[in-house]
Amino acid sequence: MIRVVKLNKFFGEKQVLKDISINYQPGECSLIIGASGSGKTVLLKSLVGLFEPDSGEVWYENVLFNKLDFKEKKNIRKEIGMLFQGSALFDFATVEENIRFPMDFFTDWSNAEKLERVNFCLKRVNLQNVNKLFPNELSGGMQKRVGIARAIALNPKYLFCDEPNSGLDPHTSILIDQLISEITKEYNMTTVINTHDMNSVMEIGDSVGFIYNGELVWEGDKNNILTSSHKELNEFVFASNMAKRIKEMTR
Amino acid sequence: MARESLALEFCSTMIALILAGKVGSNISSEIGSMRITEQIDAMEMMGINSASYLILPKIAASTLFNPLLMVMSFILGLLGGAIIVMITGIVTLSQYSEGLHYAFRSYYIFYSMVKMSAFSFVITSVSSFYGYYASGGSLGVGSSSTKAIVVSSVSILLVNLIITQLMLN
Repeated sequence: MIRVVKLNKFFGEKQVLKDISINYQPGECSLIIGASGSGKTVLLKSLVGLFEPDSGEVWYENVLFNKLDFKEKKNIRKEIGMLFQGSALFDFATVEENIRFPMDFFTDWSNAEKLERVNFCLKRVNLQNVNKLFPNELSGGMQKRVGIARAIALNPKYLFCDEPNSGLDPHTSILIDQLISEITKEYNMTTVINTHDMNSVMEIGDSVGFIYNGELVWEGDKNNILTSSHKELNEFVFASNMAKRIKEMTR
Repeated sequence: MARESLALEFCSTMIALILAGKVGSNISSEIGSMRITEQIDAMEMMGINSASYLILPKIAASTLFNPLLMVMSFILGLLGGAIIVMITGIVTLSQYSEGLHYAFRSYYIFYSMVKMSAFSFVITSVSSFYGYYASGGSLGVGSSSTKAIVVSSVSILLVNLIITQLMLN
């Protein structure tokens, strides 16, 4: 479980996160939603330690993560997998080397064991025969899958995804969402996903937190998000004409 | 004359200025691109010291091996001189060879190698610094690359002055 307590983050004078408190449970896909610039990515990066919060606490089980030094954080980070918005695959390495990368640093497995794990992870994300390809030889959807394969390479307890389906077509987006959801349930991971895609919310949103201007203003799940009377949430959820028409029809 | 000018300045300072443009911009843009595409964040996330992983090998490699590049350029420079002598006939080849051997101070080669080593350290560390802290998308990468070249070049001239004062006075 991840517990966030009164998290605040400033960039200069601007307060980007305001007193965020939320819990993320294992075996669930917890979504952070909100408009662009609302603070979703800053929250996600503060959770994993890429940004240092100005005040507040981030707990991984019973460990206060944001007060640890670099070496101590390393132990927790071994248990974290992260999928970045643009996949962030290393350009200088092949698909196989990308997935092996965390294994080379954190395990003493033999080459054969590493290769076996690489192939297992690739199979898990429905990719085969791409071991020797470089990231620029893959499509956007394939890059995301390799990103997921790398994120789960060390069998992490926590998975963070920053807009996993940005730039993907609706069909591929749903496949990626379903894959993340399946992996979460299969390995009982605590998964936190940052998105503004309503399809993702309705597909995999076991729990949903809505951020508005850096504040967590609504919490719920995919079942009650459409019926909420929260003004800002409704403006976000029913922003498109199609969504408005659906809302009218369901009334 | 050709020997001294090659050993003292051309083979170290001039080559270093060329390397600052070629290698410096390469390092800066490579690391800068990794920064803006979140590849460095991905390394940090895995608990890897990204600066150490990306920059240290570059500094070590260039500091150790660029002096050899300097020696190679010195030899090629002398061979070039020999070819010009043969083509133009200004002096005979044996006179040219005798001139090269006359009052030769091997300390100048050592001095030049030390300078090249210091210049290489400057080029890689300055370029890596600007690449590592690049921000603002592809424009930011271009800008960091330009800054890296300018700062490296000026630093090379300053380091040249300091080392010359220390080693030749």
